[in-house]
Amino acid sequence: MGMLSVEALSFRYPGRDEAVLDEMTLAIPAGKVFGLLGPNGAGKTTLIGVIAGQLRGAQGRVTLNGEPLARVRRARPQCLGIVPQEYALYPMLSCRENLRFFGGVQGLAGARLKARIEAVASFARIEGVLARRAGQLSGGLKRRLNLAIGLLTDPQVLLLDEPTAGVDPQSRAFLLDSIRSLARADRIIIYTSHYMEEVQELCERVAIIDHGRVLVSGAMSEVLRDDAGLLTLRLRAPLPPGLAAEWRSRFALHEDGAARYRLAIGGPAEIAPAIEAARAAGCEPLAIDYGRRDLEQLFMQLTDRSLRD
Amino acid sequence: MRRLLALWEKELLALLRDVHGLAVLFLMPAAFIVVMSLALSDAFKGDSGRQTDFAVLSPDDAGLADRFAQGLAGEGFRAVPAPANEAAAREGVRNGKPGLALLVPSGFAPALAAPPGAGDSPELVLLADPTLPPMQLLAFRQRALGVALELRVSQMVRLAGGAPDALPDLKRAARLSVEVVGSQGARRPSSVQQNVPAWLIFGMFFVVMPISALFIVERRDGTLARLVAQRVPFSMLLLGKVAPFFAVNLAQAALMLLAGRTLVPWFGGEVLVLPARWDLLGAVTASTSLAAIGWGLLVAVSARTLEQATVIGGVGNILAAAIGGIMVPRFVMPQTMQTMAEFSPMAWALDGFHAVILRQGAGADVAAPCAKLLALAAVLLALALWVHERRRVLSSAQ
Repeated sequence: MGMLSVEALSFRYPGRDEAVLDEMTLAIPAGKVFGLLGPNGAGKTTLIGVIAGQLRGAQGRVTLNGEPLARVRRARPQCLGIVPQEYALYPMLSCRENLRFFGGVQGLAGARLKARIEAVASFARIEGVLARRAGQLSGGLKRRLNLAIGLLTDPQVLLLDEPTAGVDPQSRAFLLDSIRSLARADRIIIYTSHYMEEVQELCERVAIIDHGRVLVSGAMSEVLRDDAGLLTLRLRAPLPPGLAAEWRSRFALHEDGAARYRLAIGGPAEIAPAIEAARAAGCEPLAIDYGRRDLEQLFMQLTDRSLRD
Repeated sequence: MRRLLALWEKELLALLRDVHGLAVLFLMPAAFIVVMSLALSDAFKGDSGRQTDFAVLSPDDAGLADRFAQGLAGEGFRAVPAPANEAAAREGVRNGKPGLALLVPSGFAPALAAPPGAGDSPELVLLADPTLPPMQLLAFRQRALGVALELRVSQMVRLAGGAPDALPDLKRAARLSVEVVGSQGARRPSSVQQNVPAWLIFGMFFVVMPISALFIVERRDGTLARLVAQRVPFSMLLLGKVAPFFAVNLAQAALMLLAGRTLVPWFGGEVLVLPARWDLLGAVTASTSLAAIGWGLLVAVSARTLEQATVIGGVGNILAAAIGGIMVPRFVMPQTMQTMAEFSPMAWALDGFHAVILRQGAGADVAAPCAKLLALAAVLLALALWVHERRRVLSSAQ
């Protein structure tokens, strides 16, 4: 199984004192989608830029299966694909011309290029708009074309930098399903986002970064495990003031908004009575979590800030 | 090579779909060629090419006015009917119609025959439009004095008992033809010979606009970063822009020469005479094109926004054109400006085109302008690479 390793990677932009990447170390195994989560400015795009070779001057090492990535790419330039945060396509060219161009500059030609264009267009479900100019597409279709371009060389390392930014929920769901299906035994996929729900839904491994440092990294189930005895309830309606006051004194009730509550209960035995009390107050529980926190809660615990800040 | 072909194809497709860019590259110089060739056609002919109207006012002797008019007409001067009186003549000249009015005083003819000691000689008055070139005014004055002298001599012959009709034509004795011999190097171009290459060069340098616009959009939209991530060397990206715009410049040259051959004469101007040495024309065009593309690449890499590129590229081109003799021919500039023109690449290009089109020169005549343009192209391309490297974070390890 392949592994992309980032070892003590540091990077600062010229003229700036603050390091954007600060001794960052990560191990990203193949076979699963690896989520890189962090607020805006955490260093996600910079890390992608350094791995992709867009930014130079980083200290540290990036290796693919133990071999420096730069050396691997000199031998096999097509081994890495990138889907940047921007649309990164030519609006005045048609979708097919965009695919042909980006395939051509990566050395694809003839039947192989044609086959790859058909394959990625089919994968991204853009076959019907191949003749249309990219500039005339909706945001969702542009994102799909962006993804298709990144897949042209069938890369072993795939870097997805916020590939769902600014799209409607339907397109986002399609893109997430598509990305999930890209995982295979020998492929390394890094998926950056500041949408915790996306990362939580899509990735089996995750790293949370902030100010260029890794705050936590590991399997999603491990990272989200919570031994603090927190019960999280999402209710159909907000708690009535009386019950809220009672829980505040008994369970150190914390309200996240949108009828979402966290209760520090004594143990699993107190889950059922709490749910019954909410139900009796006319607040039907919609979601119940115990012993497991979400990424937002984890980030807040680690930084005292919200991911959305 | 496959990657370069993909870059060239992309660049051409993008350019062909940029209607405004194409208009700037093809319609603008063609329009300038037609308009300026026609507008400046008289100016480029010198004073001899200008027709100046004149009137002769002789209140008490219509026959004398006719004799003056006949004697003065020709060689750029055309007689028009005389105004009703001196006031009307002054008002007319003040408005430039006619440009000249000769006032013949009463008793002029008899006074010419007056014996010595009979008082002051009669005085002709010439009213002149201030916009007339001094040389033309001087020429008319000489012609008027010549006619007066002819009148006086004929009167003297009559008094001596001779027949005035037998008097020889005095103007025949004054005929003089000018023949330019030796080097034609200093020969001035005609309007179309000046304007076709001048505005062609101007148009060729305007590739700075589409080159920089496409490049800045690539940088802004992330396509450039994507290409870098795909390990496309920056030098290859620049080369990917050279060939398509070189082809565009060649197309511009062909179409602008065609405009000089067809459009300008169709609108009433003169026909552009094509050179005998097409290879030299090609060499000058290619050198100019490479310099223009180099300039475009440097602006593209240096400018951070489209607005910056428009200002730097546009203003730079207009200044180089103004200094380099594109807008105003260098031969009408004062010496200081002519010296400054030596620093404009557009002037070098114009020298090259004139050597081929105007003087039908040989290889040695275009060598210097071509060498300067090619050297400039190399320097600009190197500068573009250097600016890019400075802006990009330097590599040390990965």
